[in-house]
Amino acid sequence: MGYSLVLTLPEIILSASAIALLMVAAFAGDKAARLSTWLAVLAFIGAALVVPGVTGPGGIAFNGLFVADSFAAFAKILIYVAAAIAMLSAMSWFARDGVYRTEYPVLILLSSVGMGMMASAGDLITLYVGLELQSLAAYVLASFQRKDSRSAEAGLKYFVLGALASGILLYGVSLLYGFSGSTSFEGIAAAIATDGISTGELFGIVFVLAGLAFKVSAVPFHMWTPDVYEGAPTPVTAFFASAPKVAAMALLTRVTIEALGAATFEWRQIVIFMALASTILGGVAAIGQQNIKRLLAYSSINNVGFALIGLAAGTPEGVASVLFYMTVYVVMTLGTFFVVLRMRDEAGQPVETIVSLSGLSRTRPALAAAMAMFMFSIAGIPPLMGFWPKFYVFEAAVAANLTWLAAVGIATSVIGAFYYLRIIKVMYFDDPAPAFEARRDLVSSAVILAAALFVSPLGWFALEPLGTASLNAAGALF
Amino acid sequence: MTSPEGLLLAMLILPFLGSLTAAFLKPAARTPAWALTWAATLIALGIAAYLYPAVEGRAVLRNEIEWLPSLGLNFLLRLDGLSWIFSILVLGIGALVTLYARYYMSPEDPVPRFFAYLMAFMGSMLGLVLSGNLIQLAFFWELTSLFSFLLIGYWHHNQSARDAARMALIATAAGGLCLLLGVLLIGKIVGSYDLDRVLASGDLIQSSDLYLPALILILLGAFTKSAQFPFHFWLPHAMAAPTPVSAYLHSATMVKAGVFVLIRLWPVLAGTDAWYFIVSTTGLLTLLIGAWAAIFQQDLKGLLAYSTISHLGLITLLLGLGSPLAAVAAIFHAVNHATFKASLFMAAGIIDHETGTRDLRSLSGLYRFMPITATLAMVAAAAMAGVPLLNGFLSKEMFLSASLAEHSGTIIDQALPALATLASAFAVLYSLRFIHQTFFGPAPQGLPRIPGEAPHWMRVPIEILVVACLLVGILPAMTIGPYLATAVHSVLGDATPAYSLAVWHGFNPPLFMSIAALGLGTGAYLLFRKTLNRQDGAPLIRRLKGRKIFEASLAAIVDTARALERLLGTRRLQPQLRLLVVVALLAGLLPFTRLGYGLGDHQGTVVDPGFAVVWMIGGACAIGAAWLAKYHRLAALILTGGAGLVCCITFLWLSAPDLALTQLLVETVTTVLLLLGLRWLPIRAEEVWPGGRAASVTLRRAIDLTIAVAAGLGMTLIAYAVMTRPLPGSVSRFFVERAYPEGGGTNVVNVILVDFRAFDTLGEVTVLAIVALTVFALLRRFRPAQESVGAPAQQRVQNAIDEAREGRQVGDTLKDYLLIPRVIMEWLFPVIMVFAIYLWIRGHDMPGGGFAAGITLSIALIVLYMASGTRRVEARLRVQPARWIGFGLLLALLTGMGAWLFGHPFLTSYFGYLDLPIVGKVPAASALLFDLGVFLIVVGATALILIAIAHQSIRRPSASILRQQALEQGEG
Repeated sequence: MGYSLVLTLPEIILSASAIALLMVAAFAGDKAARLSTWLAVLAFIGAALVVPGVTGPGGIAFNGLFVADSFAAFAKILIYVAAAIAMLSAMSWFARDGVYRTEYPVLILLSSVGMGMMASAGDLITLYVGLELQSLAAYVLASFQRKDSRSAEAGLKYFVLGALASGILLYGVSLLYGFSGSTSFEGIAAAIATDGISTGELFGIVFVLAGLAFKVSAVPFHMWTPDVYEGAPTPVTAFFASAPKVAAMALLTRVTIEALGAATFEWRQIVIFMALASTILGGVAAIGQQNIKRLLAYSSINNVGFALIGLAAGTPEGVASVLFYMTVYVVMTLGTFFVVLRMRDEAGQPVETIVSLSGLSRTRPALAAAMAMFMFSIAGIPPLMGFWPKFYVFEAAVAANLTWLAAVGIATSVIGAFYYLRIIKVMYFDDPAPAFEARRDLVSSAVILAAALFVSPLGWFALEPLGTASLNAAGALF
Repeated sequence: MTSPEGLLLAMLILPFLGSLTAAFLKPAARTPAWALTWAATLIALGIAAYLYPAVEGRAVLRNEIEWLPSLGLNFLLRLDGLSWIFSILVLGIGALVTLYARYYMSPEDPVPRFFAYLMAFMGSMLGLVLSGNLIQLAFFWELTSLFSFLLIGYWHHNQSARDAARMALIATAAGGLCLLLGVLLIGKIVGSYDLDRVLASGDLIQSSDLYLPALILILLGAFTKSAQFPFHFWLPHAMAAPTPVSAYLHSATMVKAGVFVLIRLWPVLAGTDAWYFIVSTTGLLTLLIGAWAAIFQQDLKGLLAYSTISHLGLITLLLGLGSPLAAVAAIFHAVNHATFKASLFMAAGIIDHETGTRDLRSLSGLYRFMPITATLAMVAAAAMAGVPLLNGFLSKEMFLSASLAEHSGTIIDQALPALATLASAFAVLYSLRFIHQTFFGPAPQGLPRIPGEAPHWMRVPIEILVVACLLVGILPAMTIGPYLATAVHSVLGDATPAYSLAVWHGFNPPLFMSIAALGLGTGAYLLFRKTLNRQDGAPLIRRLKGRKIFEASLAAIVDTARALERLLGTRRLQPQLRLLVVVALLAGLLPFTRLGYGLGDHQGTVVDPGFAVVWMIGGACAIGAAWLAKYHRLAALILTGGAGLVCCITFLWLSAPDLALTQLLVETVTTVLLLLGLRWLPIRAEEVWPGGRAASVTLRRAIDLTIAVAAGLGMTLIAYAVMTRPLPGSVSRFFVERAYPEGGGTNVVNVILVDFRAFDTLGEVTVLAIVALTVFALLRRFRPAQESVGAPAQQRVQNAIDEAREGRQVGDTLKDYLLIPRVIMEWLFPVIMVFAIYLWIRGHDMPGGGFAAGITLSIALIVLYMASGTRRVEARLRVQPARWIGFGLLLALLTGMGAWLFGHPFLTSYFGYLDLPIVGKVPAASALLFDLGVFLIVVGATALILIAIAHQSIRRPSASILRQQALEQGEG
């Protein structure tokens, strides 16, 4: 018991901070919003710092319900850092409209506890609890600007569809349990390995994967993504696009590899289908978008498809490539969203159309340069960092004899390049649109600069440590 | 850094360093930017020259730096004969182009940026030729695509430059990704990306199943980059770039990258039928089409562009033939083409610069204005045409003799000599046209500018290149000979054939073919020169516009995307939900199709007819509730209650009295609370269908119904399959066996709740308390919607009756309404209360327990509230749910902590029996106190929610609603 509590120290830190900050919110009100945000950042830093410590030897807590291995550690550090950065974007953004509330960091903290549990789930029950904790906080966040009808609509949609997906997932969970006789990943794996896969287990796998596909927004469970990304307040969208994606992907990976490793043949077909459909639909549908947030939503669908290609490989290299992909993707996407957050017209109103970026290179050259780097990087063009995750994924796929999958992935990444280039074209070649308001925001500038440096060739210094860490983390699942 | 390895690295870094520095210079800093670039290039060139001894005699210089050990990938610079000669081309022509660009670029252009791009491109190209592993090669390959994009789009105010840049990037970057995949496959076959290991594994690669896919992917990369048919379309449009860029990209670098890769991998990929047919056919087609199209160009640079395509086709064709001799010719021609084509582009740039036009039809007789440039251009064009004593002649001669050899034994062998001669004749024709049209004839009319000689230093690069053409052409063995030999040996190794670089080989068939081509080309020019000026695009292939196809396919992609979005994309929630359910349904069907449907071993029991009837009633209630949910909420709710009751009966039938009891109580409370809540829901708007309900609506509903039925059926089938199988080993046996010996109770459920799992229960009741407080907090400020604020219809009718009759006050009817039931319900309160206490006490052994008791008492409270009204109840009874909750929580907690007094862990229970007078023997476990806590919390929580709802009816509506009502009454 005591050991279990030590292993869950990151979650305990975050939960305790969330409760403490909730008290601050209740008694100090919105005056304390900024302070709470910074305190929450501290909590995230603390949690991220203890993660390697408690997972050093790697351990199993609460009789296998909770796994604190290097895979979970990798995912958690990424999740915490991403969540903290995404949270920082909210302060000034909401403050502009006078609605920044102390609940915001609390919700992010709670959601992150759920995400940490998702990464550490060793049992279907932990999986579900983590997933719901993350999702429930996310539903509220989506409708955080509740007086804005778009935000309210986004929250409601996300909730209704998310609840349905959770239902499907739970149904799969109950079938998996009913037919394998165990809720623990280890037990399910053992049951499948000894008796082979039964119809019921296959049903369970299908529904569990369907539910998880919703969370990673893989096609055909992607419908909510553009609507929610567009409707939710931009800082919330930045959050959605980063940390929860990592958590859901980590969970999906852990379920498929750890619990269903013996049924790789079965789930691989499903994952391949999702990967293909996501890369193609995400790539193609993004082309017609006029709204930058919708475009980024489709881009995230497309990118998730790429990460799924790595998962489809089902090898340690494949899993490592998924982690690597998500890491680089999170940096690029956060950088991009921080630029989008800067998009406000002269009157301070947020603008979201791609056209409003026209001629940004002349009105705000530094911002345009950063955005161009992110776009080139997401398109996967070297020497920028975005090339590497694609390379890792393709290499893993080829090594697992999935060359054709990699080939389709490459074809869709060309389609993807099309719309990223369109943004660059708009920024650099089109006649300037009205300039964005000039406003100093130290935090946001620092984040954009850091992300730009990471995707620049300077990021190569991170390649090797990241590669080793992701391989090491992937090794924990095999 | 002074070791050869260090110098090699320095040579690669220098251009990037120069680029980075130039990028940070001010736009006006023209000369510093240029000087920096030039110096960096010259130093790198010097290093390259200095390193020559390291590659002589098939030696290889390697510099390996640890890069990505986790992938087994190292950054590997590898210099051999071939990469040396290409490095010299890249840096040498780079230096000349830099010098030229200094004078070419106009003062308005931000020149430092130009030089930054140019240097970065040069570095990428250098990195490409120096790559010692294939991944690195693909990496630098994409880099060249990226920087060529920036260079071609440098004049971004120019629409055609923007389009051309984007087109070139999409075409070549896509090809680069194909190449990446191709080399990944090679790496999979060989087990390493190291070039030396790959080059040593030719047989392994060619015998692999993956050879063909790898070959096709690599060729796709090479062909897009080297503008081979049908991917040649981007190159002519890239002429929108500044001329120095064209001179550099389309002579020595960019387009040579594809050819370079083909040469590099020639030893391992060439020699198969697939290679022969794909590569030589593509090369031949490109050679002919490029040359044919070049004849009809009216734009000076366009002509050069198509001739570049044609010459690249020639090199590809030579490589495709697969014979070592042809490969030698390919390498040689790649070098020669770089020299004469770079000089021709620069000459074209000078003409454009000086006259302001590049249209061949407006140009004429420029010789008298710029004799030096004209002479230089003529020599270079002659080299392009393959005139003897120039370098172009030598490699063309080699090409013609290669075309005569037998390669495959197919029709291509017979046709090749004739087609080669024809292509050479085309080359003569367009070279002649380029020269004659521009420099000879009458003085030009109506030029934008009066032409003159360009600055001396602008001509110097051309002079150097032309001298090189001449020297190589006249004294090949003394100039290029040894270097070419080193390059050839590094590629072909022991397979290097005997070849001769002499100018004169005697009267042999290639010479006759050369002479025929010269004669044919000159003759054709004399015959058709006037006609050519009238042509607008090349006949026969005019329709074959790669750009149009490219743009059409882009447009098609965009249209498809939009159409797809219209078709599939929706922002409406219902279709999204429908999709989710349908996909889940289809996903559920998958396992059926694969594994079939099977039942377990459990025998079904015979269904009792009575039970079946009960269930039919329950099912009817459920369907009715679903049907009426939209139309009549009250009826739907009552029907739900019916279904719940059937559930209770089922529990009883299946011998689970405790479950049945709990279910019944919970059912009652929830139904009543829901009924109370109904009042605050908005009134349902009538469905309005102007002009009748459309058929599509009916259809949609029918489809939805089908989906719902199918999904329900599926779930039923799965559930049935699960239930016919043995239960997984559950914990129930454990609890059943230990409930009495260890918990002192015979009601297992209760023992689990208050003893075995008491800690969980403590947590749950705490949550329940929090939920109740939250609901109360939320409803405390709740103001119902305006339309539901007024008195209910029934009360209005009653009041109207009161008003209408004499002697009655308003409210009289209401006061007496349902009087007798009310009295009965009030009297029931103590009875139910006793029953609740009874349930609580017996709970440990018999069905009942704190939770059931709590719910029971809540029912009593609800009944009282409903019967007597909120005000009346609260005037007579002290209802303080919050206190009850608090007390219950404390009690549960203290009971648990009580165990500590006796040295036991938290929540350990003691049990025994107590003999009470009258009542008799009752179980008296310490858990009973804990259960009392639960009891209190449940009552408190339910009552708190009830009060929150009940108080709505006695609360004043919000001020705004009152104002609104007053307004409406005033109007009325």
